[in-house]
This record gives sequence, C-alpha cells and structure tokens, in this order.
Amino acid sequence: MARIVMAGFPADLGEWLKNCFVQADVCCVAGGLEVIEELRRPETSLLVLDHRLHSPTALEILTELRNGARHGKLPVIYCLSEGVDVELAKRLVRDLGVKEILLPPIDPNELARQVARTLGLPAPHRSTDVEEHIQDAVADVRRRFLPAILSRVEVLEQTGVALLESSLLPELREQAEREAHKLAGLLGTLGYAAGSRFAREIEELLQRGISLSESQALRFSELTVALRLDVESTPLAAEALQPPEKRSTLLVVDRDEDLAERIEAEAAGQNLHVQTVREFHGVREAISTHVPDVVLLDLLVSGQEDDGMALLEELSGRTPPVPVIVLTSKDGFTDRVEVARRGGRGFLAKTSSAGQIVEAVTRLMSRLHAGDARIMAVDDDPQVLALLRNLLGPRKVCLETLDDPLRFWDALGAFAPDLLVLDVDMPHLSGIELCRVVRNDVRWAEIPVIFLTRHDDAETINRVFTAGADDFVAKPIVGPELLTRIFNRLDRLHLRRNMLETDPVTGIWNRRKASQMMADFLDLARRHGQPFSLALIGVAGLKDINERQGYGAGDARLRQVSQTLSDGLRSEDVFGRWSGDEFVVGMYGLSRYDGVQRLAQLLEAVRQQDVQAPSGDELHLILSAGVAQYGEDGTDLESLCKSAKAAMLHASTGGGGKVAHAGWVKDSPGTTRHLDVVLVMHDEAQASLLLHGLESRGYRTRWLQDGKTAAKLLAGPDPLLHAKVVLIDVDLSGLDGISLLKRLAWDGVLEDCRAIILTSPSVANEAQVALELGAVDYVAKPFNPPVVVQHIRRALDAA
Amino acid sequence: MREGIFRMHRKILIVDDEDAIREVTQVTLETLSEWTVRTARSGREGIRLAAADHPDAILLDVMMPDMDGPTTLQELASSPLTREIPVLFLTAKVQAADVRRLLGLGVKGVIAKPFDPLELAGEVAQALGWEPEQRGIPERRLKWRES
Repeated sequence: MARIVMAGFPADLGEWLKNCFVQADVCCVAGGLEVIEELRRPETSLLVLDHRLHSPTALEILTELRNGARHGKLPVIYCLSEGVDVELAKRLVRDLGVKEILLPPIDPNELARQVARTLGLPAPHRSTDVEEHIQDAVADVRRRFLPAILSRVEVLEQTGVALLESSLLPELREQAEREAHKLAGLLGTLGYAAGSRFAREIEELLQRGISLSESQALRFSELTVALRLDVESTPLAAEALQPPEKRSTLLVVDRDEDLAERIEAEAAGQNLHVQTVREFHGVREAISTHVPDVVLLDLLVSGQEDDGMALLEELSGRTPPVPVIVLTSKDGFTDRVEVARRGGRGFLAKTSSAGQIVEAVTRLMSRLHAGDARIMAVDDDPQVLALLRNLLGPRKVCLETLDDPLRFWDALGAFAPDLLVLDVDMPHLSGIELCRVVRNDVRWAEIPVIFLTRHDDAETINRVFTAGADDFVAKPIVGPELLTRIFNRLDRLHLRRNMLETDPVTGIWNRRKASQMMADFLDLARRHGQPFSLALIGVAGLKDINERQGYGAGDARLRQVSQTLSDGLRSEDVFGRWSGDEFVVGMYGLSRYDGVQRLAQLLEAVRQQDVQAPSGDELHLILSAGVAQYGEDGTDLESLCKSAKAAMLHASTGGGGKVAHAGWVKDSPGTTRHLDVVLVMHDEAQASLLLHGLESRGYRTRWLQDGKTAAKLLAGPDPLLHAKVVLIDVDLSGLDGISLLKRLAWDGVLEDCRAIILTSPSVANEAQVALELGAVDYVAKPFNPPVVVQHIRRALDAA
Repeated sequence: MREGIFRMHRKILIVDDEDAIREVTQVTLETLSEWTVRTARSGREGIRLAAADHPDAILLDVMMPDMDGPTTLQELASSPLTREIPVLFLTAKVQAADVRRLLGLGVKGVIAKPFDPLELAGEVAQALGWEPEQRGIPERRLKWRES
C-alpha cells in the first residue's frame, strides 16, 4: 500500500486527497518536526511538501532527507507558496531531486493527478473537468443515437407481439436476439442501467429457443414495455450520470439572530441550506467540519472590524478560496476597495432585506457555478497576459490570451468569447481600432469590452469610451479591481440574456426563446429525417384562482405546475410558456403517438400533485394537451402549433384532462358511432382502469359490460358502434367472450376491427381458439393494465 | 530535458460495428489517457488498419456481422504483420463460461459491456499491464524545464 505524507497543508486538502486515493494511506502533518517523525517510518512512498512549512522549514527537511541514507530517493512533490521563484524552482529540481513543482494557488485536481502519476496509481476520478467532459460526450452520443435505439426497441416489441401470437419466425427471433444482445451492451454504457438489464433478460429469454411458455411470453412483453419506458424517460443530458445535486450551503456569520432567521426563511425556497455562527471564534471550527459554498460575513461580528477583515482575508486565501459576501454598516468607496482588496466577492449594506441578501448570494453562486464564461484578452505584453492567467486561472472561466493583435479576428471567430479585455496601445493595431470594428459587427456588437490602459488621462478615457468600451482599468493592474470589473460585466450580461429568454413567472423559456429552439430542432429533424413533435398544454381553471385568491396564488400555482411538468421532461425537450394559460413542449425524436404517451404521463403527474388552496376550498387546474408531428400535421412551426392547438381544444372538451393528437376525426353524422376502442368486460374496476389509461391518451372509448349488449351494438347488418379495436374478456355474462368473437367473425366485423382477447389462466387452448377465430392478439389474466394498453396501442397502430 | 517529450504516444485500435460504442470508447480513452485512438467498424477494416498502423493494442468486439471477433482474431494471428499485437475482447457476454472460452482464444483479456466510460481506460491499461497514464500537461507546470 502506498503511503503518502502531506506536510504543511490545510486539513481539508488532506481529506480531499484521502478520498481520491482510497487505496493509499494518506497521512497529514502540520509541522516540520512531525514530518521528521513520520519519515522515520521506512515505508513512505511519497512526500508532498508545502513551502510554508516551518521549524524546520520545508527546504531544511528536504536537504536533510537527501543527505540521509534512508530516503535518499523518496519522490517529493513541492508546492511553492507565492509567485514563481524560478531560481528556487531550479534549485529544487537540480540539487534537491524534487520530482514535481506546483505553483500557487494549488489546484487540488492538479495535485491529485501528480500524486497518481508519481506513484503509478490509477487516475483519480475526482477531476471533475475530465469527468464532465466525458459525461457530456456520452450524453451527446445518447442524444444522437436515441432514434436508432428506439427503432431497435421496436424490433423487440414486434417480437413480443409475435411471441404472444405464437407466430415468431426464426429470422425475427434471430434479429431480436442480436438486437437485445447489442442493446444490453450499449444501453449500460450510455447510462441506461435499467434498460441494459431488461435487454439482457430479453436476450436470455430468446436464448431458450423458438417458443416460450405463455408466462415467459408475457414477461417478454412486460420487459419491452419497461425497456421503452426507461429509454424514453431517462434524461439525455449529463445529469443522468451524475449524483443528485447537493444542496448549497450558506454560512452566515452574524450576531443578529433575527436576520439569520429571516435569511433562513427566505433561502428555504432556493435549495440553499443556511448555517449560522454567532461568535467570531466559531467560524474556523464550522468551516473545518464543512466548507460552505458562500460565507456571509458581518465585519463587526467580534466587535472589531480588523478581526472581520482578517477573517475575510483568511477565507479568500484558502485553497480553494471560500467566496465571501461582506455585510457592513459602512458603505464608503474606500471600504468597498478595502473589501475587494482582501478578496471579498460582494458588499452589502447592513440594512439590506433578507430577500436582497439571498438574491445576492444566489447570484454569486450562479456566477461561481456558471463555469463557462469565456474571456479573451489581447495584449502585446506577455507579462500582462501571464498576470491575467494567474488571476483568472483559479476562477471558473475559460481564458484565451493573444499577444498578436493581427491574429485577433481568427481568434475571435474561433473562440467566441463572452467578454473582451483589450490593451489600448499595441503595435500595428491598437485596441481602440479592434474595439471600433467589433462594435460595428452585428454579431459582436453586444459583447462587453474592458480596456487596459497605461494612462488614465481624460483624453485616453475619452478615446476608450468613444470606441465603444464598457469599462477600463489603468495599469499597473490591481488584481481585485480587474476581477470585480470583469465579473460585474459578466453578471449583467447573464442577467440580460436571462431576461430576454425566460418567462418571469415560471422561470422557463419564454415564447420567443422556445420558438427559436424549436425552429432549430425542426431544422435538425428535416435534415436527419427524424420525427419531431410539438405539444400545446392548455391550463383551465387559472382564471378562477386569480379571481378568488389573487394573481399571486395563480402565479404560484402555475410555477408549481411548470416545475412538475419540467421534472418529467427530458432535458433536451424544449419547454416554454406559450401564452398566459398555455405551455409548449417540443420533443425531438418522438412521433406524435410517443408524444401523446409522454404527455399523458406528465398530466398524470400534475393530477397526482393536486393541492389544496390555502383558503381550504379545492381549486384545481385542469391540463389538456394536443400533440402534432412535424411532416404529418404541419411543415413549419406555425402550422404545427395550429394543429396542436386544435387537438388541445378537442382534448379540453368534456371536462378536459386528456391528451389528443392532431388529425382527430370527428364522428361522422348518422347513427353509427366511430370509436377507437370498445372494451367488453364484466369487472367494472378493471374496465375503469383501462378506460382511464386509454382516454387520457386521447382515444375514444366505450365500455360494455355484457356479451349480449356487445353483440347487439357491434354486430348485425347495421351496427350502432364501429371500433378499430375491441378488447373482449372471455368470461362474460350472457354471451361468453369466445361466442361473442364467433359472432363478430361471422358477421364480418373482424375484417376492419382488430380483436384482442383476455384469456383465463385455467383454460388451456383458449388463446389458440381465439386466434383461429380471427383475434389478432391475446393477454392472459390476471393482466397488468399498462401491458394491455400497450397491446391495444399496437393494434391501433396497425389498424 | 524531460524524457517524455519524444516518447511516441501509444496507439490503440477499436473494432466494433456499433457506432455509438466506437464514439464513446474513443472519447473516453482519448480524454482519460494519452493514447491515440483509431476505430474500425468491421473485422475486415480492423485487420487492414492493424496491418497498416501497427497499433499497440486492439479492442475487438466479439459479436459483429459478417466477420465476428474470434474470426478476426484468427486472421490477425495468421499474419506476421499483426500477430504480435495484443488483443482485448469487448463483449456483452458475461457468463463465466463465455469469458473462459474467449480467453482460451489467446487474447490478453476480456472487457465486459456495458462498461463505465470513466473506468474503461483503467481497465484496458490493467488488462494490458500498462502503467496508467493521465491526460494533459497542466498549464501551471513549469515550462522552463523543457527549454
């Protein structure tokens, strides 16, 4: 077992490294003497030294080590404490045999990677960048291959039906076994763990031979249903592979108990956990047990502002730094500069409300987590660029530096930055010129530009702003000032982008943004020949709530509904607010029938979550949806919306709460009623389960309880009911199911109506008899309602 | 001068008819290791690339149409150009008997599908007895040693 001695580092870094290398023994010591003590043990395999170690110092320990016999060749990783001291670094490597040098601020991921490399251990999977990159790539593969995967699932579904019909041909069986085998291997790799298991079980069933027992065939069908469900409901984005998001913590350091409580109440709705420390001395202890995401610090917590400032500096200087927002009663310019200089990330007046404070905290967090702000800096002075890299390196930004302004245009297009930092004076092409041209290009007209100037005289400032700058910083650059200015600009950009794209009430995309995204998907569907479906969801009952309980209650209810809907959607589905009482969902890769299925599940989820209004009376929102498919029901966004809207209006009749697809044909006039499904079964409870499942998917259905009535309405020379699919239970009163089937066959009804039989487990050859009489499918009792609905859907698709 | 600068990166060839598997394998190996990855969509193409490219190892899918993994392996072993290249099977067959049978064909190891994309590089390195490699020369490592 490898033994790593870490000397002079904060305890949390040691803990972190222990987690990275569970297969190694990581031992952390704080002082120089303890290191010497530890090194007496012979089995140490790596020493990680911090330059700040004292009595004896890190250098003394190293020199001693190299002169001694025992650890003359022990690999050492050395972390410098401030700046780049090249002479020291050379000495460490040449004379003292240091294997790796790390520069401040220490990047824990980098340290872990170096430790692994030195010891020949497997790479720690903690380096989140790499992990995210791979997860994104896998999610991308999943997104692109979803239609192909679904078409393979379809082969298995066909096989399932053929198995139930005992009509499975060897070719299809072979193909299905191949597909199941490939899916078992593929799905798990792409993150569909359950789907992979289902495919594996399907493969095993198929390996038993050409015919399966009835219960095996039923199991097969259930597995295909479960398989499709898993593939369709697993989110396509990287979240699927990541552990559930952890709650962020805010540590409030303030003596004011009231304020802390109000902040806690305010934060409850924001997935933000609040921890409070009232004593200055409690802070270090609180942080040593759990490092918060943000600290809100009252500078006067100990009564002495100096203590507050020192604490601020300490927190900001940690590795990684703990972001701090300062709460103070002083609000002068010099105070702000002082806070910024010590690394504070925000400055709030003591009089701010709890709401304002929580907003500032969540804004800072989203900035910390945004992670993808892209900054491009152009300066001919490599030292300035190095300084920028140093300043921005530890922050989550992506920085591109350029020392040759002549290469600016290629780099601008290739890198597509969110913000530009330009030097005013550069040879050949000044920053002013670059900025002027940027501002005249529509693509870049909005990009924030910050100038670095050597002079801050009125003339230069005037030149800079005339060229279109947003801000400037005079050289020599003061780190915190530049950072503050950069992040201010990025904040505002972020805010503006959000305002242009999201609906203020629900926080989901607004109509403009949703249309734009759906237009992109339509393009994609057109180019790749993939299905795309659009659903409009109408919300009824909102007016009642608004009138009786006020708009606040209506908005809150809408927010809740949109949250429930959005939880049930895949992350790449487009979900937006279409109008006051309509939502829109764009689903790439799904046909309208699959779309109806998805929407039925969503509406069910909303129904389940029905709430009691605060006043005690129940006010329900009733959602109805219409689904239209690209190509079938429209060729552009406008015509698709129109078709979806017509279907939605249809679904909202008769109490609503249903989903309908476009292309719904109205009953033709005359005496005959045209239906999708007629259920003929005695048991009312079972019938109502099936009716619910079918009607919520927009099918026109009718339940008939006894065989005689069914025969009267469905058969005869001039039947009153006409159905695409009829489901017949064999056990019926009056006329039994097999006799009813005979009657239907005799009268020619089965020529354009597909019959499915529910067979009893006790009678051996019932299914076979039914199939010989002309039934197309059968399901053995006791049945599983979703499986029966699946069989009915398949029969309807074939009809 | 660092010894690593002129070291040739290891090359690895992936043979799998499944487009999605090829993509995932390539991206994860290239991200988590410093290996250069090439891919082939059939046994036939794999043999051609192996002979031309002479990779350091081949990851070979077992179940492929036309020419399956074991047949491909046989052909690789019959040519002096490719005989020495270590091969790992990639398969969704998971039963011990299957794995034993595959190992008996003379491969260095068998990697089971589905695999965790984040673990694959480690598994491959372990099966081949390679020292695990990590990606990337970090920016903050000192550059002056190279000059």
